[in-house]
Amino acid sequence: MKNIVIQLANVNKRFGALHAVRDVSFEIQRGQVCGFLGPNGAGKSTTIRMIMSILLPDSGTIRVLDGSALDAKDRIGYLPEERGVYRKMRVADFLRFIAKLKGISRADADTRIRAWLERVELPGISHKRCEELSKGMQQKLQFIASVLHAPPLLILDEPFSGLDPVNRRLLSSVVRQLKESGTTILFSTHQMEQAEDLCDQILLIHKGEKVLDETMGAIYGRFDPRTILAEPANAIDVASASLQHVLDIESFRWSVEQKAFEIRVAEGVDPQLAMANIMRATPLRRVELQRATLDDVFVTLVGGTVVEIESAQKSRTAQVNHG
Amino acid sequence: MANRGSVRRIRAIAWREFRYTALTKGFLIGAIILPLIMFAAIPLLPMLLSSKSAPLIGRVVVIDPTNSLAKPFQMSLPLDSGESQEKQDNSPLSEPLHVELSVETISDPARVDEFRAQLKDSSLRGLIIVTPGADGLTAELLVPSGASPRHTTILESTLRESLTRARVAQANENYDRLSKLMGRSIIETRRVSPEGSESKENAQLRILVPAGFMFLLWIAVFTSGNYLLTSTIEEKSSRVMEVLLSAASPVELLCGKLLGQAGVAGVMLLMYGGVGLAGLGAAAMLDVVPLQHLLWMLVWFPLAYFTVAAIMVSIGSAVSDLREAQSLIGPAMLALTIPLMLWLPIVESPNGTLATVTSFVPPAAPFVMILRLTAANEPVPMWQALLAVLVNVITVATILWAGARVFRVGVLMQGKPPSPMELLRWIKAR
Repeated sequence: MKNIVIQLANVNKRFGALHAVRDVSFEIQRGQVCGFLGPNGAGKSTTIRMIMSILLPDSGTIRVLDGSALDAKDRIGYLPEERGVYRKMRVADFLRFIAKLKGISRADADTRIRAWLERVELPGISHKRCEELSKGMQQKLQFIASVLHAPPLLILDEPFSGLDPVNRRLLSSVVRQLKESGTTILFSTHQMEQAEDLCDQILLIHKGEKVLDETMGAIYGRFDPRTILAEPANAIDVASASLQHVLDIESFRWSVEQKAFEIRVAEGVDPQLAMANIMRATPLRRVELQRATLDDVFVTLVGGTVVEIESAQKSRTAQVNHG
Repeated sequence: MANRGSVRRIRAIAWREFRYTALTKGFLIGAIILPLIMFAAIPLLPMLLSSKSAPLIGRVVVIDPTNSLAKPFQMSLPLDSGESQEKQDNSPLSEPLHVELSVETISDPARVDEFRAQLKDSSLRGLIIVTPGADGLTAELLVPSGASPRHTTILESTLRESLTRARVAQANENYDRLSKLMGRSIIETRRVSPEGSESKENAQLRILVPAGFMFLLWIAVFTSGNYLLTSTIEEKSSRVMEVLLSAASPVELLCGKLLGQAGVAGVMLLMYGGVGLAGLGAAAMLDVVPLQHLLWMLVWFPLAYFTVAAIMVSIGSAVSDLREAQSLIGPAMLALTIPLMLWLPIVESPNGTLATVTSFVPPAAPFVMILRLTAANEPVPMWQALLAVLVNVITVATILWAGARVFRVGVLMQGKPPSPMELLRWIKAR
């Protein structure tokens, strides 16, 4: 139990007729980075808000840092999906206020504020009013507010959305450094590359239900790669004619971007065996087994229903924002 | 440990709320400096408004075929500046005026045009045309077009007095004797307390003092309640609410906000109340505000504040902008304006049925009770005062409880404002 930082058991949450979170259970181990994925309206932010004790579940139990998040607010850093700052407050005053709420002394807070502003490349803005900052700067400011008290648990709701590539990379590297320093991180995102890059564990939620809860290694293992990339040594039409006779192949197509054939291996066939048969059928310059990406996993599990979900979301009049 | 954390968070939120309301230029100018300037200006008003008119020097012609008005007019003219001040009693802020008029009596009415011409070039200060009638003399006063209103007023009052003098003389009476007989009598009224002590009656103050207490309470409580409403709406619309809720529980946030604005209301109460007391002290009238009135104010201020503040913060948490808030504030405001509308009848009869009943009707009760307790024509029975306190303590606890539940649900809500039925559901929600 000591190593479990977040534990949800059979958690449910309804908003009127909408069953936003259905019987969700999962655990996050200490020091892990967990990516919380799902299409818009899947229930991510609602789940995060329940973890933060901002919303209460209708049923089920939630334990955070061996208790309720209400008792552990000083040890949790939280970046909400909806960014917000006091517009008229000066940057340093806003951060000092948050630091004070988190139990940091004024002197300590000032040192940390200076260091963090430098670290996220926002030096010299401490006397500016929050309303004078750009959206991206405000987002970085809020990120600082969530990590200022060096929490052992950091929950980030869409931390990279709305950032330009440079700042996304910057924030990503900061998150990686926090991971290396042992911080447990749960973050929701639509940026699959970021999740693939940073996460040890992936949670995928769809229509309020958990559909995936695996480590990255297990995901790669489970979503068995069945696509072979083969760059022919001879002419494309000659190679294509040869491939027609390989029995282990379900289908193949020429990829202009990859400059190679994308060959789908038939169900029940060992991909290694299929590769050997292809190499025997036609001379190749390059052959490799393609790895399943998180994008593929997401589309496989959620795929065709995303459009349906988004249109349903538009027609919904539920007032509470949920992820 | 958790309690210490709660206290720290509540303190931080309360201080931010207080600092960003009471220590801002807007508050200092709007709520403190402007009223203070207005207050300070009151003693300066006579000086600022006093007009220094030119002396009234010149000639007045009286065309009087009966030759009976000239002497009374001469007698009625102000002898010195002090008297002239008295004669034009409709301008008490004006400085005394020097009057030096020579009166010329003409008995030939045919010369009117000659003197009219003198009026046109302002060489004459006034022309009085007397006409004898069956009921006595009547007179017409003509002045140059450039005559100052103050000069005209002096001439009018002098003419009025001289006509009266002429009529009194015609009736063979003595004007000075009659004036003395008809003079205004002075009556001194004193109130006798049940203990037998006497105090000087001042009817106007007896109405104004309770009103002062009630308005002071009302202004302090409503100004801070309004700040609470707008700051909650701002925190919702700027999406900073969720950041706060990640660091503090809804109850801590609510307590911090209520306490911070209580400080703002307290500052206003102290400022305005202090200035009022200082003014009364300067006028040696501090006895109209006995200590027990101030003590009752200390009892009713928190009850009034927390009633109004809990209503305002609940409304603020349930809506997304001020426009939406108006529809929900309406019914609450109606109840809270009752004491403003019923102020006079309550002060007139502080133990009447209306006053007694409204003393127990929240949320108007604190304002009604402070009116009753400071009116003091007749003392409010102690059991009523204590029962009203008890009723209001229960009311405040209930409103705070319901307010906290609305706040907890409302702060994360966006979109259309809730209906009263939805608000009830929020209160009942787990």
